[in-house]
Amino acid sequence: MRRGAALAGGALLLGLLALAAAAPERLPDPDPARASLGPAAAPPFGTDPRGRPLWAYAAQGAAVVVLPSVAAGALVAGSAAGAGLVRCAGLPRLDGALAALAEVVGSLPRLPMVLVVALVLPADARSLWPLAAAWAALASPGAMDEAAAAAERVGGSRFVEALRAHGFSWSRVYLWHVLALNLRPVLVRQGAETAAAVTFLEVAISWLAAREDHPSLAHPERVRSWAALLDMGYPSLLLDVPTGHALGLGLGLCGVVLGAARLLAAGAAAR
Amino acid sequence: MTLLRPLARLAVAGALPILVPALVALALWALPGDPASIVCPPGLCAGSEGLAARWHLDRGPLGFLWSWAEAAAAGDLGRSWRVMTGVPVAELVGAAAPVTLTLVAATGGLLLAGAGLGAVAGRPLRAALAGVGAAPAVVLALLASAAVDLRFGGDAFGPEAVAWRLVAAVAVLALADGALSGAVAGAGDAFARERAERYVLAARLRGEPEVPNLLPNLAPALAGQLRARLLAVLSGSVIVEAALRVDGVGDLLWRAALLQDFAVMMAAATFYAGLAAALLGLHAAVEGATGWWVRRAPAVEGA
Repeated sequence: MRRGAALAGGALLLGLLALAAAAPERLPDPDPARASLGPAAAPPFGTDPRGRPLWAYAAQGAAVVVLPSVAAGALVAGSAAGAGLVRCAGLPRLDGALAALAEVVGSLPRLPMVLVVALVLPADARSLWPLAAAWAALASPGAMDEAAAAAERVGGSRFVEALRAHGFSWSRVYLWHVLALNLRPVLVRQGAETAAAVTFLEVAISWLAAREDHPSLAHPERVRSWAALLDMGYPSLLLDVPTGHALGLGLGLCGVVLGAARLLAAGAAAR
Repeated sequence: MTLLRPLARLAVAGALPILVPALVALALWALPGDPASIVCPPGLCAGSEGLAARWHLDRGPLGFLWSWAEAAAAGDLGRSWRVMTGVPVAELVGAAAPVTLTLVAATGGLLLAGAGLGAVAGRPLRAALAGVGAAPAVVLALLASAAVDLRFGGDAFGPEAVAWRLVAAVAVLALADGALSGAVAGAGDAFARERAERYVLAARLRGEPEVPNLLPNLAPALAGQLRARLLAVLSGSVIVEAALRVDGVGDLLWRAALLQDFAVMMAAATFYAGLAAALLGLHAAVEGATGWWVRRAPAVEGA
């Protein structure tokens, strides 16, 4: 069951990476004859009101979010691993300093701080990377706290001493027993949740900007994110506009990200 | 030792409202380029020297921070540059703050009720809530916004529509990103763990009620959980207010970021830092009160 979940989550992540890799530099030229076609008439996802294929939007959106999101997840998982290792290594001063730093940083409201970062960045440097880094920095304290608590539960430094007494090497104790066996569920779940949160952050701020006819704060103007699909499909909820398939695709892609995060976390859960 | 942690939290809470402007100042001087042109790019603002003088950006980061904090303490947050040009920022934030406070308080009430429910809820309810709570705030806010627009059509900003938007915003904030489901599950897990402790079993054998025995040990953890969830709600409120066009500080902050209104952004971000500080202070108060209560009790008869 866990292995199946991990494989399914990994497959979804690989699918998103492949989609990002296939992203065109620019959207194809408009083709009014193929405007607003559904997925059946213009596979795989249909076309926009100007006749451009929606798969290009999906691919460009994946290119915008996938790598920054995965990097943010890795950053959070890495800092959590560090906190767990420090707790196991029996370094009370460093542990205390990390806890104090985490208390301060973890108390800051994330999205307001990310918007501050977005505002002070020059318009020509707009990208998800700095926002993802800010989000990861603010999300790390929670993950560090949880990883340190998980390390404490297995015995902390006494656990390491006991394993060392069995003659295990440092690398085997820390990398295998502490990280891979005991902290894995926390690290993977926190990393996956952060990656999903960064993706939704990009979708949210780009969709809100698109609604106001403003360029996104999270990506350059020449590319489209999944938020463009939501913006294109939103009128179909209110009016008789044939863009429901764009909304469905946008929501479906959000569902894929959520599913990948959930499956990876379930796959890494403790026995 | 019992009071050390709450006192540390209170110290952090006291520092948070100035920490945010301090981080902004740090960022302005750490980034390459002139702080005045970062605050307002030359394409948008003419005369960066005048801007630098007006905002004390020519006095270095500490001078800027000190001048801003001094003026803010006196209630002068400057004037809006673009969100509502010329209007005092204190007026804008003052008008928006009650809305955001209402949203956060109502959502907090729901999460508190959820934690209470978690103490007694079974697995089916938790599973159902977890299913709903999986959706991110942006998706639920989009659907809620469409529902309000559909219901009210052209009158989407009438008094009734505004009330509906507020209710929808509270519902979205409570349900999205696992806030309510997390509150139910988190409290449920904490109660289940504590109920398995021997002192609870002994209390039960003595015929004592469970909750008064459990609560002093659980209260700090539950307060911590609630604070973490409310911090996430604060973040979510920016998206939800902007999506549902609720006139709160989150919407103000969003428009400030979009229109590059530095004055409004500083004030709104500091408002959010103040809210986060208040949550931290509340957590410290619960911890301190519980610590005091535990040291004082139990008053053993005949001892």
